[in-house]
Amino acid sequence: MRSVALVVAKDLRILRRSPLLLGVLVAYPILIALLVGLVAGYANAKPRVALVDEEGLPAVVVVGGERFDVAGTIERVDEDVTLVRLPGDEAGRQLRSGKIVASLTVPEGFLADLRGMVRSPRLVLRTTQGGISTRVVQQVEALVYALNRQLQRAYIDANVGYIRLIQRGGSGTFLGRRFDVLGLDGTARALEELPPDERVDEIREFVRVAGLALDQTDDALRATANPIELVRGADRGRTWVLSAQIQAYALALTITFLTLLLAAAALASERDENAIGRLGRGLVTLGELVVAKVVLAAALALALGLAIVLSFGLIIELGGVEGGEPWGRVPLVVAGLALAGASLGALGALLGALVREARAASLVALLVVLPIVFLGLVPREVVPVAGWVSNAFPFVHAVRLFASALYDASPWSVLAREAAWLAGLGAVFALLARLGARRLLV
Amino acid sequence: MLLVAQGASRRFGSRVALHPTTFELCEGEAVALIGPNGAGKSTLLALLAGALEPSSGEVRLRDGTRVGWAPQRPAQYGRLSPRENLEFFARLEGVPRPERATERLLSDFELPQEDRPSDQLSVGNRQRLNVAIALLGEPRVLLLDEPAASLDPRQRRLLWQRAERLRDDGGGVVFATQTLDEVDRFSDRVACLLDGAVVFDGSLESYRESRPLAEVFA
Repeated sequence: MRSVALVVAKDLRILRRSPLLLGVLVAYPILIALLVGLVAGYANAKPRVALVDEEGLPAVVVVGGERFDVAGTIERVDEDVTLVRLPGDEAGRQLRSGKIVASLTVPEGFLADLRGMVRSPRLVLRTTQGGISTRVVQQVEALVYALNRQLQRAYIDANVGYIRLIQRGGSGTFLGRRFDVLGLDGTARALEELPPDERVDEIREFVRVAGLALDQTDDALRATANPIELVRGADRGRTWVLSAQIQAYALALTITFLTLLLAAAALASERDENAIGRLGRGLVTLGELVVAKVVLAAALALALGLAIVLSFGLIIELGGVEGGEPWGRVPLVVAGLALAGASLGALGALLGALVREARAASLVALLVVLPIVFLGLVPREVVPVAGWVSNAFPFVHAVRLFASALYDASPWSVLAREAAWLAGLGAVFALLARLGARRLLV
Repeated sequence: MLLVAQGASRRFGSRVALHPTTFELCEGEAVALIGPNGAGKSTLLALLAGALEPSSGEVRLRDGTRVGWAPQRPAQYGRLSPRENLEFFARLEGVPRPERATERLLSDFELPQEDRPSDQLSVGNRQRLNVAIALLGEPRVLLLDEPAASLDPRQRRLLWQRAERLRDDGGGVVFATQTLDEVDRFSDRVACLLDGAVVFDGSLESYRESRPLAEVFA
């Protein structure tokens, strides 16, 4: 192990002599991680949706005696999508050109239908065929759901008003026409004034039972309208950009780039420098040389990964973000960084052994790292083949390990499984690298 | 016998770089390896140094014999200074007091003392460092692959003085060269290689008499 330590120390010294290279190797993956974050962030960005108001909606609408705050409702929708008011033809043009992803039209007669409470008023949604349209449809469905809930309340209140009228009697309006109703109470009083009779008793009994049943109508109507009610709690926890998943991707992506490129170049450079022959004369065995590159990769992954974890932690602390402060999980992440760095370093050493020339090895490592990373970003549930292939490389296991270490309430089973994957893959790649390292002597 | 290659051969894929070769190096002997480019001199030296595994046969060293090897292309780290290179290899060789050994070799080979990376040195200085690394640990056997090719006359003289001193102290020297003058002046024995095979191995006198490969060196 002494020779391994000497080679690692030598490599670190050489790396220190190449600050530009080190800077690029550190900055590049962080830049890539940020770009991936931006792309992922775009998926969460508010889509632009046109509101075509052919009806000329007022700020407040009265339905069934209930006041509807139309402007307020539109503002609430604006939290999920960016609503822009456009005329119908302009909305159609922008929809075709892709400037907006959907248009929501309030057709003429909407308010009349709404107030009439006989026919369902309609909103017309048109979307593009892009991948984001599904989300827009979901968001508009959510909007209609929210509107329907408000309307349900109004309709129920109106209907309950009619039922009270049937129960108690009095004056009411329907479709703009006034009418007077005797009501069940009035009917009961009228029946009291009639002489006792079997037929009258039957009617009196009906009035009593109907009154009892109609007393329950209010709650029954509300329960029927909302069999399950979703109640939203207050928003807590980390913002999206600081989420454990993003931290896990940033960590894994950064150390994957760094370790693969460095380990590949470091092993191949032993041949470039013509030092491999000198080392191979019993001073350092090929196995020890591969181990030295794996240790180098693990050490660098640990140093850089720890810096990223601490940076995230500081931002979370300073920003007062709640939910999953990272400090308690740092030891787990540190162990994961070392293991993932070693596993990725072994893969890098294999590339270095196969390619044999430092610059070419770096290029090949770069070519290899991109598909590995992007395969790892594809959800297994969406493309199972991508999941199987990425399982054969350490990146995806590093992501899962970091995410679990940072976030899971009880991470041990995931940690054990992913650590076993990383250790197994690392051992296989290191063995292959040792076999391939014979090529460096040629 | 300090060093013996018994039927040692080396292939690189399908290409035979050195056919099965038997070669011996005795105490107090300086052997010149000569032959045209690609004859197998560097491969034989690398096999003797242990830098390459023989494809067949074996290479044996007398117990406890240290071997120093200076390959034709300097084997050192360009980003490290001469001092750092020497210290690194000294520690790997297990040289006691590596700093002191480094200082001595830096001084003996008149190498730059400052922390300038080796790849910024002149070709001659890099070759001096290459030979200096070979001398770490005071080897009994010195294997030199065209060591004087890029050295100035003074450094050549110093190099051969060191080699002669090692030989006179009972060590052994094997050197590959393309300069017949070096063969005449510094060798006791000459081995001629052609197309990966030793075609002549004899004393300097017998070499002078028969002049094998004369057409190559004409």
